[in-house]
Amino acid sequence: MKRPDWFLVALWTILVIAAALWVAPFVFILLTSLKTEAEIYATTVFALPAHPAWSNYAQAWGRGNFAATFLNSVIITCIKVPLGLLLSAMAAYALAQMRIPGRNTVFLAILFGTMIPFQVLLAPLFSLVNSLGLINTYVGVILPYIAFGVPYQVFVLRGFFRHVPKEMTEAALLDGANHLTIFWRIFLPLSLPALAALVILDFVATWNEFAMALVILQDSGRWTLPLGLMSFQGQFASAYGQLNAAIVMTVLPAAIVYLIFQRYFIGGLTAGAVKE
Amino acid sequence: MVGRRILFAALLLGAQVVAGTSGTASAETTLKVWTISWDDVAMSGFKQMIADYEATHPGIHVEEESRGTDEHKAAMRVAINSSAGPDIYYMWGGLGLGGEFANAGASAPLDAAYAQYKWDDRFLPSALGDSRRYKAPQRHGVPFLVHGEGLYYNKALFKRAGITAPPTTYAELTADADKLKAAGIAPIVFGGSVNWHLMRLMDELLETECGAAKHDALTSMQANWATEPCATASFTQMKHWADDYTLKPFMGLADDQAQGLFYAGRAAMILEGDWFVHMIQAHTDISNFGLFLFPTGTGRLYFFSEYFYVSARSQNKAAATAFLDFITSPAEQQKHLGQFGSTSVDKGIDYNGRTQPLDMQWNRTLASTTGTFVNGDQAFPLDVTTEYWRIINAVAIDTMQPAAASAAMQSFIANRHH
Amino acid sequence: MPALASGAPKPGRLGAPWQAVILLGPALLAYGVFAVLPFLDVIRLSVMRWDGLSPHAAFIGLANFRFIFTEDAVFWTAFGNSVIWTLLSVAIPPAIGFALALGLNQKLRGRNALRAMFYLPVIIAPIAVATMWRWMYDPFFGIVNSLLTDAGLQRLIQDWLGDRRVALYAVFVAYVWQTAGFAMVLFLAGLSNVSPTLLEAARLDGANRAQCFRHVTLPALGSTITVVIVLSLINSFRTFDIVYGMTHGGPAQSTQLLAFWAYTQSMQLHDFGHGSAIAVVLLAVTALVVIPYLRWTQRREDAA
Repeated sequence: MKRPDWFLVALWTILVIAAALWVAPFVFILLTSLKTEAEIYATTVFALPAHPAWSNYAQAWGRGNFAATFLNSVIITCIKVPLGLLLSAMAAYALAQMRIPGRNTVFLAILFGTMIPFQVLLAPLFSLVNSLGLINTYVGVILPYIAFGVPYQVFVLRGFFRHVPKEMTEAALLDGANHLTIFWRIFLPLSLPALAALVILDFVATWNEFAMALVILQDSGRWTLPLGLMSFQGQFASAYGQLNAAIVMTVLPAAIVYLIFQRYFIGGLTAGAVKE
Repeated sequence: MVGRRILFAALLLGAQVVAGTSGTASAETTLKVWTISWDDVAMSGFKQMIADYEATHPGIHVEEESRGTDEHKAAMRVAINSSAGPDIYYMWGGLGLGGEFANAGASAPLDAAYAQYKWDDRFLPSALGDSRRYKAPQRHGVPFLVHGEGLYYNKALFKRAGITAPPTTYAELTADADKLKAAGIAPIVFGGSVNWHLMRLMDELLETECGAAKHDALTSMQANWATEPCATASFTQMKHWADDYTLKPFMGLADDQAQGLFYAGRAAMILEGDWFVHMIQAHTDISNFGLFLFPTGTGRLYFFSEYFYVSARSQNKAAATAFLDFITSPAEQQKHLGQFGSTSVDKGIDYNGRTQPLDMQWNRTLASTTGTFVNGDQAFPLDVTTEYWRIINAVAIDTMQPAAASAAMQSFIANRHH
Repeated sequence: MPALASGAPKPGRLGAPWQAVILLGPALLAYGVFAVLPFLDVIRLSVMRWDGLSPHAAFIGLANFRFIFTEDAVFWTAFGNSVIWTLLSVAIPPAIGFALALGLNQKLRGRNALRAMFYLPVIIAPIAVATMWRWMYDPFFGIVNSLLTDAGLQRLIQDWLGDRRVALYAVFVAYVWQTAGFAMVLFLAGLSNVSPTLLEAARLDGANRAQCFRHVTLPALGSTITVVIVLSLINSFRTFDIVYGMTHGGPAQSTQLLAFWAYTQSMQLHDFGHGSAIAVVLLAVTALVVIPYLRWTQRREDAA
């Protein structure tokens, strides 16, 4: 019989307590979102609502114009994520498998993009998008999203493609295939696991993006979920139940995607940063 | 084939727009009006006004677009240099916002329309003030809304503190605040996180300490904040209110949180505008609340106006002024009384149907007002407003002394590169 | 074998250079126009006076920099806050993430569920995190002050986001909550590279847990630690949403950070010159960190 390892028992206890602390904010938000104003003022913070006030959700949905912001977020995310990844994968293939003069310089320039805090570029980005007449348009926000998604995705996928032996490409070329075909027929299917990870990662990043949307989508009809939530907070800061319902509705889609695709997610995050 | 015909018409219309023709061939004139999103009552009132106008003016189509306050300002900035902008736009009257756009060339001068429609006879003198802020003889904008601001108070709390009548001088006001404090009641509440809430107090104090002429000179940046003793004195009073009279903590609160605390009786006073009557009504029993003007001693009303301006780039200026004349006409104003605010911009409106005492108090106040002073954020240009807010907050949270505050204000104004 | 790129294309087929253009072009075009161009433009704008919309911008040399360094009452506050923020961001979330990773790398019951819980805040929109924590810090009804009251610790009650002495740190706590899981995951990945046979050998040699950690685990994590620290550093420069949502830089601009002050100047006060000058300062600081790191990465990759 094995003696219990007291070190591990203590460690486990500490971690469980820490995890409870970590999720406490979610519990608090969820509980608040189901309380009436009177309950919020009168009951203690972790008290269960007597009758869940689902009406908070309905009211927040209407007042926050969630139908529109949700749709905008879905449209922008569903166009940006696949399109951006395809462009990144194409570029990553070229940089990994083709002999292009100066490709290391190009790669370094792209890599630099992973490091720029794009938040300081909001003003020139606004004037650029404005000069193209794309303020308040989906295209106007999707293009910068793609541009700032390219660096990390190219970085990860290029690393992935480089591990594929060059001989494979060269053999295919000798068989008469061109690079476009090789990319499409061989490399894209090959990189599906890495792409899946990046899809999840990019989905969450795009879904959550706030700063660029803030300067480019100035019309409330084009707002994404984070902008809608921010405006809701500005207008109804004291409608606590509805505000928390709005938070839950904003957070839930990303949380569900994360919980379903957890495995891929962490793979995508670590693929670029920490390599064996 | 109706579908085909519509498509054809759409193509034709599109071709016209592309060709930039002014649409002489089409009988229909479209007026684009940009406003902010008012509350539901005001919004439906405005749509009704449009419907009234379209019913009596065939061939004119009015297209209304409304946005949140910040989006509206942003959209206007983008539109100012493009032909895709509105024919008529909404903006506040003061030099800070309305003036910024008018001075940037966004607004068409309306002197001819003022003469043609005799608007000077129609509107309250207080409402007209902001149309005259420009280099004579230019007049800009048509008044649509007027707002006064004052102190709302909780009658029960005043009574508990032994206050029998609202104060009529600043000394009485602070004496009453002391009484409230002694009775364990927070005299006033502000939401510090929205900068303009606490700013209202500072605006009132400047009027009180400096008097009308000097206050105007300070807000128009003609007088020197650093050497004008009343500026420092106002900041000193501001600090006194923040330290001693304001429900704490307040710097982390938004305005509607502060309002919630006021409805709940956590503080005795709040500095709000005429629109607040309806907000109290929506939350609690309004008969528990009273109203008096901040006793500045100058006799001027703390006031701002909201205007409609005709865009300088509009191709339909005559139709635009005719529309504005219609919606500000006494008949329309009487018809939509109370939907936009307590008081109409017009003279001679019949308020006799009213029952809410606080609304009636505002009607009397606004109708009898001649002198006004405007909110700081509507008097100053944007960058000065931002600095004004920072300094007010810095004094309130004790990082800046009053003398340093007026010096900081002056050095910011002196360093502006305009 | 002859160089493929120089092979003459057969009629009707794309040559290799064209194939390269098709594959690389779109991504480079998007990146060039919407990332590199604004990057260059911000440098240009930092020596101009411009309101963001009028057709003319005037060249004014270094006047914007002189203004932000000597006359802007907020710049140095924002700069100081950014330094504090960066130091804390590099120290605290990685330290917590490291501790969590070490713990959750052990064979524990339910460790995957625990990992997921610690990671969950990372995937939430920062603006939602800001809204959540703003409500938790509510001075009258929020959870923080309620719990302090329940625990009899009323004297610790604060106006968390309204008091200049605590606001920045109150925001930072929310930031730690959101970012510690990110460091944890990177460290877990690094730990998975620590050779189990080496650990086993060390244990057989009689090394205790502390010795195993000190002599086997820690050396193997060297590059992971560098990566986590640099990423934390870069992410700290990017902090924007959470400040926007929680304090908007207040009270009295006491929680301003450089990225947010640059935004405020350009996009809210319409002074693109000042805003861009602040942005350039932050970019210069970023470059000081990033360029050595990129060279380090390159060397590592070349060695691999």
